[in-house]
Amino acid sequence: MEKRRVTFRIRRFNPADGRVRYQNYEVDVVKGMTVLEVLQYIKDNIDPTLTFRAFCRSAICGSCAVKINGYPKLACKTQVVNELDVYGTDTLTLEPLDNMDVIKDLVVDWDPPLLRMNDMKPYLVPDPEVVPKTAEEESRVSPEDHKKYDRFTDCILCTTCFSTCTAVKLDKGYGGPFQLARIYRFAVDPRDAVKEERAKIGFAYDMWKCVRCQKCADACPKHVAPVDGVMKLRGMSIDVGLRNNPGARHVFAFYKSLLESGMLNEVLLPLRTKGLKGVLENLSVGLRLLLKGKAHSPIMKPIAEHDTLRRVMKAAMEVK
Amino acid sequence: MGRYAFYPGCSAKGVCKELYESTVAVSQALGIDMVELPEFSCCGAGVLEEIKDVLDVAVNARNLAYAEKAGRDIVTVCSTCLLVLRTARHHLNTDEELREKVNRILSESGLEYRGSVDVKHFHWVLLEEFGEEGLRKKVVNPLKGLKVYPYYGCHTVRPREVMNYEPSENPDSIEAVIRAVGATPVKGERRLECCGFHAFWPAPELSMELTGLNLKDAKESGADCVVTPCPLCHINLDANQAKALKAVGESFRIPVLHLPQLVGLALGIEPKKLGIHRNVVKVELATLK
Repeated sequence: MEKRRVTFRIRRFNPADGRVRYQNYEVDVVKGMTVLEVLQYIKDNIDPTLTFRAFCRSAICGSCAVKINGYPKLACKTQVVNELDVYGTDTLTLEPLDNMDVIKDLVVDWDPPLLRMNDMKPYLVPDPEVVPKTAEEESRVSPEDHKKYDRFTDCILCTTCFSTCTAVKLDKGYGGPFQLARIYRFAVDPRDAVKEERAKIGFAYDMWKCVRCQKCADACPKHVAPVDGVMKLRGMSIDVGLRNNPGARHVFAFYKSLLESGMLNEVLLPLRTKGLKGVLENLSVGLRLLLKGKAHSPIMKPIAEHDTLRRVMKAAMEVK
Repeated sequence: MGRYAFYPGCSAKGVCKELYESTVAVSQALGIDMVELPEFSCCGAGVLEEIKDVLDVAVNARNLAYAEKAGRDIVTVCSTCLLVLRTARHHLNTDEELREKVNRILSESGLEYRGSVDVKHFHWVLLEEFGEEGLRKKVVNPLKGLKVYPYYGCHTVRPREVMNYEPSENPDSIEAVIRAVGATPVKGERRLECCGFHAFWPAPELSMELTGLNLKDAKESGADCVVTPCPLCHINLDANQAKALKAVGESFRIPVLHLPQLVGLALGIEPKKLGIHRNVVKVELATLK
């Protein structure tokens, strides 16, 4: 089989001396070889001091996530040659995940994100009205209900989403992608007793600060797309009455615009989303837009066949 | 040549009308068969999903259905419209139960979505129709020496499952356009980072810090200007530039062009027709003189 000489540039950190450095390892790689196989090869044959986490080798345990050329991935699920092709290179940089402290080399401290999740009630609270008292009776979940949370149960806590999350990077109060998706997973479980409380937990953990960058959806090796859970949990918070905040008001501004004309009324958006405060905060930018001839009239002409849009929206809202 | 239904989105019809102007000018200059369908509505920018999943999908199935009726693929100049329309299409094409449910909703208006419409970004169409080389041949005013920061942002590349166009870790489509117009793409460490637009209302500080960091990277990379394929990124990078740079302790200015503006300049289209005068940060590039 054809071999390819690849340089692995690995970020090393030893807490004993506190020094960070990058070390190069040359490995002959064959097609199909994974990044984890390379790491194990280096440890067995070149440098036994290289430290990384790994266990199942089957993308199930979530322990081998690292950054490969800056992008968080499971080392066991990532083939070296595919990565070389994507970057057009013969050098791959391997680094520990972001947004967590490094313990040694490629191993990060998972405790803070996991403890944060623990504070957010990430478990089922059985609803006595739904869940039978004895184990003899079944607690049934319909296929339709199961579909609502099925995908979110696939999370393996590998923290790739947490590593890449834009909001986590800049805002320490933000709950985090896998954590909020986990809260949503229980919030739509028909057996759960505290659904309303879960939406409020999401709100308290600043879920409206998700920038919807889709990084978590793109990086998740299990296709969970935590951002979708965050969006749905936001919707639940509106349902339980958390409506008087810029996030929720922004949603209604869109809904209203679509009903009025079919297009977003951008001129009224600051007022509708944040009231007078929104107008004042954005006055200078608004004036600049106006001077450049970029502002439209606050009264908008409806799109063609606007009636069909209104009918579609009405029917969609009536669907169970 | 494909047949396209132009989906400008709200911002290109509203506060970024220079994007609308430049897109129309460029597509006319290149002879792209692209017509705007007057029935198109706002895609909801993803927030309709926060009211109800099926509302988001149904509104966009209606958009897809009108394009299908016209026998045209959708081409948009907004990355978020691209994401929202492609996501709805992805769900409709992969979940038969959902498609039936949504088609029952559409049928009340005599509409149906059968699943034949593709949704593309304008610059994908440029590259698909002409290729990098072909596009270069159309250039009459090569933007030689111009260093351009290729700012992708988020919704032109992620998530891969929905976009499925180029590797989301290392895309090249914007660089290809920059090369084709004779300019030089700079490396762009933060080219795939978010501008924070979608958190602007609930978290303005976060949004402005992100945009500030991106602009700072553009400046530090030696770019003369930034180019973006998204009007929402443009609002943050251009209209909100002063505020964003203040958030990261900077005060320089850097011009931010919409991608069709950059292409239009290279095609020799008059800057006024490209709405260059509407950009908030003045576009003073040697290449325009």
